[in-house]
Amino acid sequence: MNATNANANTNANIIIEMNHVTKSFKDKKAVDGISFQIAKGSIVAILGPNGAGKTTALSMMLGLLEPTEGTVRLFGGQPKDRKIRERIGTMLQEVNFMDKLKVRELLALFRSYYPAPLDMDSLIELTGLSKSDLNRYGEKLSGGQKRSLGFALAMAGNPELVFFDEPTVGLDIAARRRFWDHVGRLADEGRTILFTTHYLQEADDIADRILLFNQGKLAADGTPEQIKFQIVKRTISFTSNEDSPDLRERLMKLPPVLDCYDKDGRIYVSTDDTDEALAAIFAEQLPVHDIRIDQGRLDEAFEQLTMSAGEAKSS
Amino acid sequence: MKIIGLQCKVEMMRILRNPFYVFWSLAMPIAFYFIFTRVFNTGADDVQLWQAHYLMSMTTFSVMGSAIMTLGIRLVQERTNGWDKFMRVTPLPGTTYFFGKMFGQTVMHLFSIIVIFLAGFLINGVSLAPSQWLLSGLWIIGGSLPFLALGTLVGTMKRVDTASGVSNAVYMILAICGGMWMPIDILPRIMQRIAHWLPSFNFGGGAWAIIRGQAPEWSSALILLGYFLLFMLLSTYIRKKQEAV
Repeated sequence: MNATNANANTNANIIIEMNHVTKSFKDKKAVDGISFQIAKGSIVAILGPNGAGKTTALSMMLGLLEPTEGTVRLFGGQPKDRKIRERIGTMLQEVNFMDKLKVRELLALFRSYYPAPLDMDSLIELTGLSKSDLNRYGEKLSGGQKRSLGFALAMAGNPELVFFDEPTVGLDIAARRRFWDHVGRLADEGRTILFTTHYLQEADDIADRILLFNQGKLAADGTPEQIKFQIVKRTISFTSNEDSPDLRERLMKLPPVLDCYDKDGRIYVSTDDTDEALAAIFAEQLPVHDIRIDQGRLDEAFEQLTMSAGEAKSS
Repeated sequence: MKIIGLQCKVEMMRILRNPFYVFWSLAMPIAFYFIFTRVFNTGADDVQLWQAHYLMSMTTFSVMGSAIMTLGIRLVQERTNGWDKFMRVTPLPGTTYFFGKMFGQTVMHLFSIIVIFLAGFLINGVSLAPSQWLLSGLWIIGGSLPFLALGTLVGTMKRVDTASGVSNAVYMILAICGGMWMPIDILPRIMQRIAHWLPSFNFGGGAWAIIRGQAPEWSSALILLGYFLLFMLLSTYIRKKQEAV
């Protein structure tokens, strides 16, 4: 264990390292024993339902919260270190700006915080705001404009690593697309990007790696394809003229079958391996017909995961 | 150094652009000054002395208010709307941010002092020796420290409504009991005895002494220093406790 840690710390390619991180509030564990490493240049989504611990994990990476156990390293150093912060840009959820400051003044102020800031013209372009809006007070902007300004402020220091906390909540489709276009360009420039979201589609479309959070734990970690393979259940569905509790029992006894349920007037069995399940059903000569094989959809699997989390809480 | 300079400048601009500041810190004390020196006959024996005395009362009243309320409520606002958290993820050191705020606040106090002194001169032709103007101004700037510390204490409150309600009440009580509105001679004896221990009475007291050609009492300076340390300790303690999540 220690040997791998030492390796990771000397490896310049590892931008973020979470090592057995736990964060407890009173007796509740918001984040529970999470470990991962993020390599330079990746676009990572922390995906999970509300209350999964996404924002808590992010807050620890930003040095806003101290982990109860474990360590968090950015660029091999402490998140709170000023030298580390100079390499980071952040867009938090719902920030209202310091009042009585114009957009231009806010941009200039933020540029002054960093040793090698982006030039003013590029920042202005990033806000996408018109000349007259640049001279308005930040707090007077519309919700979408504020978000654009927040994005520009995050980029003020020309950061190598950028954090976005739920960046597209409340944005319309056009604004959302524009935002992800910008992010795509940042990634092309070799920056490392980490964002949290509870929109599965976004994680799937944008990220090259998804960290799936559920109830404070890392439920899955991999490329969107790997995640799909891990969490999506494959199902076989059919109808039967001789449906009975006995049939259900025989189905459940087949080793490849994980679960058996009704949906839309059909009988479904879920399995890890559809080939084996089919072979078993045929070998048993069960009275079924009109067989279909379904590859589950990621959003369904995600919903299931979210739902089971909810049920687990209420029970 | 450049960072500190810009941070100070920005904080100063923010305060001066705030219409509430102009009203509460300038318009109201000047209006009071006008009313109690020109409209009502307060029956003072020495009218000129009363006019200079009340000018000091209103200047200290103004500075005390902005130190407690403007600073305190602003701190709460910045925390509730997430700005404070956002600043903490930037490389800007927290101390620089705090220093910028204090600087902006002090410049604003200086501005208030100049404007209200000028109003006294224009309304009543208050005339003091240059050294008296200067010393009373300096006393007020220095004496504002415990109230700034009280402002940071107000700034630890959770909600803007609470902070503004509490700071308003504290401000008014301190002003009235400290003899800023009316000399404490008209208060009941017990209140007068309490007043001598209040920061507001000692704050005003130094300026009242200066315009009478006397030096501020040592006890005034010491009591103000004591309150400064007390409020600083309290607000630092509460802040540490809040951050230790």
